[in-house]
Amino acid sequence: MTAGPVFAVVGHPNKGKSSVVATLSQNDAIAIALEPGTTRQSQAYPLTVDGETLYTLVDTPGFQRPRKVLEWLQAHSLTASDRAETVAAFVTQHRNDARFHDECELLAPLVEGAGIIYVVDGSVPYSAENEAEMTILRWTGQPSLALINSIGPDDYSETWQAALGQFFQVVRRFDAVRAPFDQHLSLLKAFGQLEPAWEQPLERAVRHLRDQRMRRREQTAGLIAKALEEMMTWREQRTFTAGRLPGQSDDELAVSLRERWYKHQRQREQALRLAIERLYQHNRIQRQEAELTWHSDHDLFSEKSRRAWGVSRAYLTTAGFGAGALGGVGIDAVTLGTSLGAGALVGGLIGAAGSYFYGDRLALSALKLGPLREGLQTATFGPVQDSQFGYIILGRAIDHWWHISHRNHAGRDPLDLVPTESHWLQHLNRTSRNTIQKCFDKCRRNKELDGKSRHELELAIAAALDAYDEWRLNPA
Amino acid sequence: MPKATLTLLLDFDDQVQKDQGQTAAFLHRRDRKFALACEADGRHPGPANWLAYLGGFNRERQIGGSDPRLRVWRRVNLAFIAVGTLLGLVTMLGLLFYDGSGQINVTVILGFVLLQVSLAALTSLQSFFGWRPWGQLPDMIARRLGRARPSGTVLRQLQPQLSARAAHAGGLAFGISGLLTLLGLVVVQDLAFGWSTTLSTAPEAFHRLVQTLAWPWQSLWPAAVPSLELVAESRFYRIEDAGGSTAPARWGDWWPFVAMVWLCYIILLRFILLMVAISHLELRARRLLARHPGLKTLLYRMETPALETGNAHSDAADQPQMTTSIHTHPLPNASVAIRWAGAGDNQLASSLLKSEQHLVLAAGGAATLTDDHETLQQARLTLGSGEPRAALILTHAWEPPTGELADFLAEALQQWPQTTHIALVPVGAAPDTPPEHQVAQWLRFTERLGHTRLSVSLASGEPS
Repeated sequence: MTAGPVFAVVGHPNKGKSSVVATLSQNDAIAIALEPGTTRQSQAYPLTVDGETLYTLVDTPGFQRPRKVLEWLQAHSLTASDRAETVAAFVTQHRNDARFHDECELLAPLVEGAGIIYVVDGSVPYSAENEAEMTILRWTGQPSLALINSIGPDDYSETWQAALGQFFQVVRRFDAVRAPFDQHLSLLKAFGQLEPAWEQPLERAVRHLRDQRMRRREQTAGLIAKALEEMMTWREQRTFTAGRLPGQSDDELAVSLRERWYKHQRQREQALRLAIERLYQHNRIQRQEAELTWHSDHDLFSEKSRRAWGVSRAYLTTAGFGAGALGGVGIDAVTLGTSLGAGALVGGLIGAAGSYFYGDRLALSALKLGPLREGLQTATFGPVQDSQFGYIILGRAIDHWWHISHRNHAGRDPLDLVPTESHWLQHLNRTSRNTIQKCFDKCRRNKELDGKSRHELELAIAAALDAYDEWRLNPA
Repeated sequence: MPKATLTLLLDFDDQVQKDQGQTAAFLHRRDRKFALACEADGRHPGPANWLAYLGGFNRERQIGGSDPRLRVWRRVNLAFIAVGTLLGLVTMLGLLFYDGSGQINVTVILGFVLLQVSLAALTSLQSFFGWRPWGQLPDMIARRLGRARPSGTVLRQLQPQLSARAAHAGGLAFGISGLLTLLGLVVVQDLAFGWSTTLSTAPEAFHRLVQTLAWPWQSLWPAAVPSLELVAESRFYRIEDAGGSTAPARWGDWWPFVAMVWLCYIILLRFILLMVAISHLELRARRLLARHPGLKTLLYRMETPALETGNAHSDAADQPQMTTSIHTHPLPNASVAIRWAGAGDNQLASSLLKSEQHLVLAAGGAATLTDDHETLQQARLTLGSGEPRAALILTHAWEPPTGELADFLAEALQQWPQTTHIALVPVGAAPDTPPEHQVAQWLRFTERLGHTRLSVSLASGEPS
């Protein structure tokens, strides 16, 4: 089994080498800072499939003394044919020299046959300072590709492109923080084209990464479906003795249970968010800040949240009709069609009426007190009687997923979830809408979803993820 | 010996519960590795092999003998069998109670058998439909005993089938015990059977009934099929004298039929239903295993290649120090300006020098090290010629300070007159003052070098 090609990500200090590696290796735990010398040691990030390494990215420190290195190389080389060997000799001779620590770290993988990924910052002007570095890299004789990464808002990439073209086989632009996933794959394919032997493992890697992304989307739909079912059917329950707490009225009990119910729902939503972030290998998102922001401005129960993620009464009625009709079709099937579709019609009307009635407000079920048994009484609160609640959870969950799935691992800014003002669910196909409504209705009636319904809900949510993605990327 | 499906299901469920604490990446690696090993060995990667694979790393997990998770249900089964045996004995003694004052009514026995058949059928039906009218009973018992309910979710789902199995086992014990009691009484007592009913039933009709009932064994044991004569002769009425004209031995001829009815419609039926209940339990356990959510995810993990993108390494905690205690200083009155790597331009450099006798030089960037050396020498001469003894080094504010600049500064501090002050002047890409974060890296660089004759100034001359 071969080890797969190795690509050393090299360049001037602070030009985003670690950011490129973080995004391509989906690792948000790589130290990234606007300070030269943040990376002091080379670090390998292999991509493996079932233990087989398809390629390895090596993050390296930046050049510190390129002109001195070049001077040494020129002094020790006789002809162009011995240049690669001279670079290797430099590494051997200066391995323990503190002055050339960074150069040895970055040149060592190249001496061992790694491809060169040279990273520059396209948001700052081109500087001749880089020429010594590029000359050294050319001396190694390894296949090379230059990446123009843009850290700041300005754009000098045209100048960079022209200059880099003199030294490198391929020059690509790649924004490590903002580049969409397709560009990651396209870049990896470009890596593979540097050397014929590298093409096949990189193609395989791209295929696996694409499959992984599709699977993650399916898994997200499953996670959201599970959370939706749990939250929609959640009942806060409390058992107490017949005497209860002295002086505690039913209203006070309802308030106490409602608060606990709210708290549970918030925690469950946070757990869902965490699960989706873990799925996409985002382990270090600044959740504290995000959570506080979320709670203060875009709280799950706030009116603002309701306006942003809830659906219109007309939508609810239409979806309710569809969901009811789905049930009614069963009656028509049993009668072998002799009911002439009356089952579907009646079911649809009942579903529409139910949705219209329950969809008016964010209504919770009132406090329910159970019968006194063996000196104990049980008070319950929930489940929520309003389908809007489900749409709010769904909308917020899908919006969070969208941000996470489009977030590159080089990103270090806190996650900011700003609710949209438009009702994107209108873009979802009718069958999925009806399925979602049907499941919400079941949950409202506190009925457990069977395996088939759960699977259908997952498929409908997967369709909703697609619809949301499409709507976000092509808002027209 | 292969593991019983129920035990396999419980083991699988237990393992899935345990796995919930593990990371998805670990589970994927572990299960994918198992699947690949199975593929290589030509084995089927089913739940049984999977559990055996995991069990191989954890020997003490192997359960020897009976499954402790099924202890409650074993006790329930034993209780049903014990109660069934006792009830069979008591019931048969009651049914065959004979004090010589009147015959034992076969019609009553047939009615009782019908009741038993109905109960057995009902037990099976409730098991098939999963109906649990007594569903709260285990909770109530557990509450009374002050114990938490022992059964998990899986066993709870199998409750109708487990209960049916226990009920049929009890029923079978009831039947066997009843039959043995019957045979015992036949041996030790003279039993007088007859048939009686208020309905105006002709003996022929009753004979047809018993013949129908005796159909299963009529060829095996003809003596156990009552003849029309026996039926006609053994009808009795309570207001008549017991016995009448019938010979006493004739009353006893019914016992083979009674024994066979009992054997066939109670024992054999219960035995068949017990076997069905066991099979149904097996089938249901197999179905639960096949539909177990954990199996779906396990298969997914086994089928999907374990892709690791290289996110195991973490150095996020190893962040550089991003604060500094020093500030920029006002531009010194300098006589030399050196443009490092082409920073700024000659006009800007000249405008920053307040001395009339000033020198603008270049170093770094595209210049060679020899050029740098010459620059240092030229500057040394100018600085050595008199006041002011200060030099400005213009740098690109956005470029990070490198080792090459540090070396250049070290040489300058060494070669230039001892009182020379050096000010680094970071110049932004735009004409205005460079952004704070760009200046900050120069301040930190200067602080790291730690030389008192080195400072940072801005081209605007304003200290921060």
